[in-house]
Amino acid sequence: MEKKITDEELLRELSIRFEQNKTALEELRHKSEQLKKVNEKLKESESLKSHFLSNVTNEIVNPFASILGLSQNIMSLRVDNYEKIKPLAQLIHSEAFNLDFQLKNIFAAAKIEAGLAQPELSAVNISSLIESVIESYRYKARQKELKIKFHYQSNTQNGTITGFPTDSEKVKLIISNLLNNSIKYSNAAEKIDVSSFIDDKGALSIVVKDYGKGISSDDKEKLFDRFEKGVESIHSLNEGYGLGLSVTKAYVELLEGEVNVKSEPGKGAEFAIVLPRPDETNFLEGFSDDGNQIFFDDSDEEF
Amino acid sequence: MDNLPAYYLYPANLFVSPEKYLINTLLGSCVAICLFDPISKIGGMNHYMLPLWNGEGLASPKYGNIAIEKLLESMLKHGARKHNIIAKIFGGGEVIETHHHYFNIGKRNIDLAHSFLSELKIPIKAESTGGKLGRKIQFHTETGSVKMKYINRQIIED
Repeated sequence: MEKKITDEELLRELSIRFEQNKTALEELRHKSEQLKKVNEKLKESESLKSHFLSNVTNEIVNPFASILGLSQNIMSLRVDNYEKIKPLAQLIHSEAFNLDFQLKNIFAAAKIEAGLAQPELSAVNISSLIESVIESYRYKARQKELKIKFHYQSNTQNGTITGFPTDSEKVKLIISNLLNNSIKYSNAAEKIDVSSFIDDKGALSIVVKDYGKGISSDDKEKLFDRFEKGVESIHSLNEGYGLGLSVTKAYVELLEGEVNVKSEPGKGAEFAIVLPRPDETNFLEGFSDDGNQIFFDDSDEEF
Repeated sequence: MDNLPAYYLYPANLFVSPEKYLINTLLGSCVAICLFDPISKIGGMNHYMLPLWNGEGLASPKYGNIAIEKLLESMLKHGARKHNIIAKIFGGGEVIETHHHYFNIGKRNIDLAHSFLSELKIPIKAESTGGKLGRKIQFHTETGSVKMKYINRQIIED
């Protein structure tokens, strides 16, 4: 049986089909773009795998070797040579500090990849947290004659100076990573600006700005991928696994925030993090340590 | 009210336990898969935001393909048997326009759950997916039952 349709119906049907076609095409284009990218990543990941073992040597074995050697030196010092202890101890400390930092990133990445990185919220004094991180990097900064300036804009209106509800360990690692990168990519005797404030929506902003090498637009795309490190040419000097920013991004997302990067080659880099204030119900219900009690009654569906 | 320990599952995380637990989570366009082995009484849940990992960032259970693999792996590690395991899937609502360019993200998340679970030959025993509302779910890891409530507001973003 043939059904007659009016011109109007025909037109409508046609326009629907055209629309569907357009969406399908759009989707296809999107998919093939993605496929291309994934392909490139696959190639890269092959070469990264082979780098990994040599990385482990550089990043773990070498610092341990120097820690062992330096402490050996201290042990064999004679009593009248004790003034030499301090510089040796400083070297040991900086090697151990680096090692500790790299390991923290590895453990963090492993937890994130295992799906076990649950945030634990508590009221955190942000300015003293940032100050303590900066303090831990003083020695490293001094070696490059870098000045780290910290500016905390307190906003009494929102009354959140001492108690921003967030996960202090995770925020600490986020700031450490940003600061570590700034120091790494700064040229000697430059400065680094760290600032933090609570905006009018109550969200926490942390900005770390350096005036160093900057990031090329090619590198910007891969910035947050794991095992990616900037500026291949300085590879041998470029310590770390390239995990820091991927951990940073995952942590920021976990806290429902955003990372924004502004940078041009040669003009330094600015990393800005915004963490929304978890709303009161979230803080009470969803983010409490012992888990979110969601109340159900008998009228709710059960599966 | 059951007096069981409760666990709030964050997006991109997963949780498996042979102990009795109530696993709670909130879903928008995200999908949560509850796996349950009724014989050994082991239950676990994931909560993923995007369908496939494309090499960006860390290979975390933020992505469906990784979340399902890791959840199953963890279930087996806790002593569940693969041929006993059943699945219940929730979420994948339609997200209203957001700043990122992913479209149909909820639907894609749901599709991925179907294709992966059928590939793994894990039967889907219950499902509440799609639509325009968010969901709150609570999974009882000993009985395998899931209580669900629609959230009466539009999904902005997970």
